[in-house]
Amino acid sequence: MADRFAPGDRVRTRAADPDGHTRLPRYARGAIGTVVERAGAHPLADERARGGAPDAHAVHHVRFAAADLFGAGDHAVVVELWEDYLEEAP
Amino acid sequence: MSRINDVGGMTGFAAIVQEPDEPPFHADWEAHVLALNGALIRRGIYNLDEFRDAQERLPVPQYLAASYYERWFAAIRVLLVEKGVATAADLELPHG
Repeated sequence: MADRFAPGDRVRTRAADPDGHTRLPRYARGAIGTVVERAGAHPLADERARGGAPDAHAVHHVRFAAADLFGAGDHAVVVELWEDYLEEAP
Repeated sequence: MSRINDVGGMTGFAAIVQEPDEPPFHADWEAHVLALNGALIRRGIYNLDEFRDAQERLPVPQYLAASYYERWFAAIRVLLVEKGVATAADLELPHG
């Protein structure tokens, strides 16, 4: 399965606050970042937490400016995120 | 649904206590909980994400009052009942 995103792509994380378990941290929701590299493919934790055995989905390392996440800081924060959490940034 | 485990970047909590030369376990029972959880996952009773979800579903006051491995033990008890391995009454039996 081809990845939807490649290194250098700008992406926006989902802003929705899901009902159950997720590995998209609250501080990184609705944020715009840049894909750094692919980080393998793994079953989506959100689905697995409901007892399923889903197929592997692509995972990416995504870099954010700390100020975009926390309102302060001049460093970058890299978060490992499933492709399901990402959409193209406008 | 934002859960109490997901507090990264949130302010208002007390400072994190840094423990020099922190041991892996502070009591023997903590090592038993670690081993029990690994055994249950390897036996296929539940998976790691169900285990994380079970911790996140703990009542907020219980979650915040519990230590790291107390949260683990509470989640294991929840899952043992939900998966039909034990009844809530079984878990209250005295050991001997």
